[in-house]
This record gives sequence, C-alpha cells and structure tokens, in this order.
Amino acid sequence: MNHANSSYRIERKTKMLRILATMALLATSLTAVHAAEARKAVLYKNPQCGCCEGYADYLRQNGFEVEVKPSNDLAEISRKAGVPADFQGCHTTFIDGYVVDGHVPVKIVEKLLTERPDVAGIALPGMPMGSPGMGGEKTEPFTVYALPKTGGEPAVYATE
Amino acid sequence: MTDLLNFGMSRRALLRVGACLAVAAAGLKTIAGNAAPTTEYRIGPAPGRARLKGSDAPETAVWSYNGQIPGPEIRLRQGEPVRILVENGLGEDTTVHWHGIRLPNAMDGVPGLTQPPIRPGESFLYEFTPPDAGTFWYHPHANSLQQLGRGLAGALIVEEAEPIEVDRDLLWVLGDWRLDTEGQIAPGFGSPMEAAMSGRVGNTVTLNGAAPADLEVRAGERIRLRLVNTSLARIMALRFEGHRPVVVAVDGQPCDPYEPADGRLLLAPAMRLDLVIDMQGEPGKRYAIRDDFYEGLGYELTSFAYSSQPPLRENPLDASLRLPGNPLPRPDLQSATRHELLLEGGMPGMNNMQGGAGMQGMAKMMSGGMGGMKHGQAVWSINGTAMTGDGHAGMQPLVTLARGQSHFVTLRNRTAWWHPMHLHGFSFRVLSRNGAAVPHNQWADTVLMAPDDSVDIAFVADNPGDWMLHCHITDHQTAGLMTVLRVE
Repeated sequence: MNHANSSYRIERKTKMLRILATMALLATSLTAVHAAEARKAVLYKNPQCGCCEGYADYLRQNGFEVEVKPSNDLAEISRKAGVPADFQGCHTTFIDGYVVDGHVPVKIVEKLLTERPDVAGIALPGMPMGSPGMGGEKTEPFTVYALPKTGGEPAVYATE
Repeated sequence: MTDLLNFGMSRRALLRVGACLAVAAAGLKTIAGNAAPTTEYRIGPAPGRARLKGSDAPETAVWSYNGQIPGPEIRLRQGEPVRILVENGLGEDTTVHWHGIRLPNAMDGVPGLTQPPIRPGESFLYEFTPPDAGTFWYHPHANSLQQLGRGLAGALIVEEAEPIEVDRDLLWVLGDWRLDTEGQIAPGFGSPMEAAMSGRVGNTVTLNGAAPADLEVRAGERIRLRLVNTSLARIMALRFEGHRPVVVAVDGQPCDPYEPADGRLLLAPAMRLDLVIDMQGEPGKRYAIRDDFYEGLGYELTSFAYSSQPPLRENPLDASLRLPGNPLPRPDLQSATRHELLLEGGMPGMNNMQGGAGMQGMAKMMSGGMGGMKHGQAVWSINGTAMTGDGHAGMQPLVTLARGQSHFVTLRNRTAWWHPMHLHGFSFRVLSRNGAAVPHNQWADTVLMAPDDSVDIAFVADNPGDWMLHCHITDHQTAGLMTVLRVE
C-alpha cells in the first residue's frame, strides 16, 4: 500500500476510527501488520442491487481493496459461509477468513479483524436504513451479530 | 416423427422421443364418441430422481410428474375436450394450474380459491376444452416455491388445426435449479432477502430437463422453436448468434410475425415465445445462443451445430409465418372500464434510497428496512394490499369486474425490480408500455415489467369467477405481489 492511498484513507476516516486505529497500533505491532496485510475484501452481490456497490465504495473509502463479484448464488454462498437465512443481506463479503454479511459499519469490521474471535463472521441483518451504503435515515441502533462456526444461534457482537 | 429422425438427432434427443412415446402409450387415451373425442391424461406428482447435469453427474432428488423432468408433454387439439387426472404422490397438498389456458374457474387449480387442495394420496380430475391453440404449460399452485423449485412443471401444447409450414417443431422447456456442491437441491426456500430482491435464481439451467447439448441443425431448414421458461425466478435474455428469429406467438397467442429490433428476446418466468428460425448458417459451423440478462453473468445456453450436409433448400421456405388466429374476444377500448394497479415494495433501488415513491412503499411494508422481516411475510403490495402464499380460502377480491365488459388496466411498477405479472383465466392485449404503443398485435397472459415500467393491458371479462393476478417470480408472489380479481 503506497503513501498516497494511506493518506486518502485517513482523510475519510472518522475521528472515532482514527482513535480505534491508533489503539490497535499501540496494542501490538503484530496486529497492526496483520491488519495492514489483510485489507483485501471479496464482495458477492446480487447482480441487480445498487446498494451493494454503495457498500463496496464505502469499504474502499476505508482502505479496503474490494473485488466485487455479481452472483445469483448469494443465498447459497452466505448459507455455506454460516449465515442463517434470516440474517442474510443483499451482499456478503469475505475479509481475512471472516464472512461479513450486509452493511456492517467499518468500525465493527475493524473490531472483528483486531479481536479475531473464533467465529465464522459477523452480520448486520435486515439491511437497515442509514447503514453504510444503504442510504436513508438511521432510525435505530445497528445490532451486529457474531455467527458461530458450528451454525448455532448468533449472538450480539456489537452495536452502533 | 420421421421428419425428426431424418435430421440426425442426438442420442439424448432420440431417448427423449422414445420416452415421450412410452408416456403416450401409458398415459394417453382417446375416447371415441358422438361429440369431439375426449383425450385423457394421468399425471402423478411425486418424489423422483433426475440427472440434471449429464450422465456423469450425480442424480438429484427432485419432485416430478410421472417421474419425468420436465413433466410429460401434454399435447391437445384446439377445441377438443381433455380430462386430466392428477394423482398426488407427494407428502403434501398440491394442485395443477394450466397456465394460459382459458378454462372454467373451477379448473384453474388455485387451492382454496377455485378448488380444495389435492391431499396426499388423493386425486382430482381436471376437465376443460382449450379454446386457443398455442404453447402453454402446467405447474402446481400450492407451496409453489418448493413444488416448482424442485421440478414440477411441464409443457402443454395445443395444436392448431392448420399449423404453419416448418421442417421441425421443437420445444425447449427451460428450467433453473439451485444445486449445492453435491448436486442436490439447495435448501433455503423462501429466504426473506431473496423475497425482497430478485427471488431464488438458481445456478444450473436445464433444457428439457438436462444439461443443454448442442442442437444439431441442417442448413436451409425452417424450425419452429417453442420456448417455455419454467424457472422460479430466472429472467432470460436470449440472443441467437448469426440468426434472425421471428416471433410468431407470445404466451401462446399469435402476433404479427416480427424480428425483435435488437435480436434480444426477453423470457421471464412463465413466459413463452414461439419462434420461427430459418437456418441460414454455414454447414459445419456452430452458432452460440447466449443469455445475458444478469449483468456480468452472461453464459452460453446452447448452440446450433450445423451438420456438414448441403443446405436442404437454396432459399428460405416461401411459406407464411402467420399463425391462424385464436377466438379471443377483442376488448372495446372506447367503452372499457379503467383500473389501475400499483406494484410497490421490495428493496429500494439507488434512485429511491433518499425517500422516493418506492421507498414509501418499502417503508410501509417493511417498517424501515428489512429488520422485522421473516419467512412468509409480505414485502410487496398491490394497491396497498398484500396476499401471501399460493392461494387459500377466504381471499377477498381487490376489484370486481363487470362480466361481459371490456376492462383497461394500467399496471404501474413502483419498485426497483422486474416483475412478470400473470393474470389467470384470460389472455389480454398488451396495448402500450410507458406511453408507447406495443406493436405487432401482442396478447399475453404474463407481461414483464421492468423497474418503473407502466403497462396498459385490456381484455373482455367474459369468464366468471375469482381469478388470481400475481408476479411469477415465485418469491414475489408468496411475499405479497398477488391479488384476486372477481368477474361477475
């Protein structure tokens, strides 16, 4: 990653994110190196959905290198990745071994990549209004769930 | 049949012909009488197995009619009665809807609305006389997502008394399956996400129940090609490389023969097209037939593979492409009663994200996102009302249409998604789309609406009863894009 990209990225980050990033850097240098190398994302999207591109752009603005793959098989891809049907959104993203389903705010993605819990991934079900890439007004807090690898009941991972 | 064999069909096609003959022997009987002879069929929906991806691939557990994918081809003659006994071998209720056939309401096959469901182990006798010749099809109207999605569908051809002159009359029943890595039908029917978007589009397209193989053709021959899309949700846009297909009928109803302007043929779920194609390619060459409907996901469906034989004839056959007309009552547009149906809901498109009309529909149905969405819940509406499922008792009509009157209906798609809208029991004139007249005298029973499209249709309400109107993207139908029109 070159210097121009990094500064572009930092400009787009919120103050909160900058604090989080600094904290991560301070915590261990190993984590920071790991995070820097793992900023590739593959996003599978419904071929007819516009908001998925919005989320891909949002990830790019936050420093991820995003490959967008249109697919009619999204539900099957999500299911196999461990996302229950009622938690599936219109796109699903794979980042550094985790599935990130729906319009998850990047702060929570960073939390996942920093903490590296033993889960299949996280999901923000229901494509709520106001979430990143979705547009509209946020009407209620976003609840992001952790998806167990074993396919058990998802548990709340973070709210925003 | 001899014509078919002369043209050197593939082994698979021969097997198929053989299978059809066997079924004809087993299931078809003609009763001689004083009136027109009655044709009889028996079809049994039941669990079965099929090789959808070729002989090397594993068998898929399916639900099929008479053990066949697609179901047996039912061939009837225009104006001659038929009796079709449906014996339910499934572990759940079913019915059969004779899609596009104008028939008595009690034979229309909608559970709870036009008949009681056929319970497991029970049977139901459908009796009707098809007034129109053309390409139609049949499928269940109960638990449609699973019953259609697991394979229950077949073609119903009503032959013209005097067909147009062609060398071969071919049928392509196009199916779409979502198979998992083991080649079995993937679970997850009725996903709330898919219900609000493009529906359960699959990952495996079959042609007449198998992986599409090249169609062997001979230069100079004229083929009538009947296309039927039996998919749950897959819309197709077909292009025939190096060929100029002429559309001669839409949804079974003859139109003024025409070549589509850009050579692209839209075929949404439940739609049919009858094409006439003069094989003007070079002997020994291969011409691809591609489906490029979904952006970035185009694929080759099949191809015309020309034999090396010399052309059958020097110039294309000099015979009319115009099919004989069907006895459809023509709507009187001057006296027609006007109606408007607004389709709303689903996931908003980018244009509507900031609170446009579609957003309001969405908000109404989904209360601010898909948050509260669960299986089977309405996410679509017609004029603010939503019927879900496949048909059940107590469905109240949205509109009552005066019997014998002409009715002019404007359908407005206020959603970000495509909808093939099907009206039971009638074929309607497709008059205009977004203010522009639709040419070629087109009739249909399923009209495809692009996002934001507005389409005017008209028909004579000459057939009493409660008739369904719904989207044929099955996930949309079961999640609210369905209503009932009463004719009395």
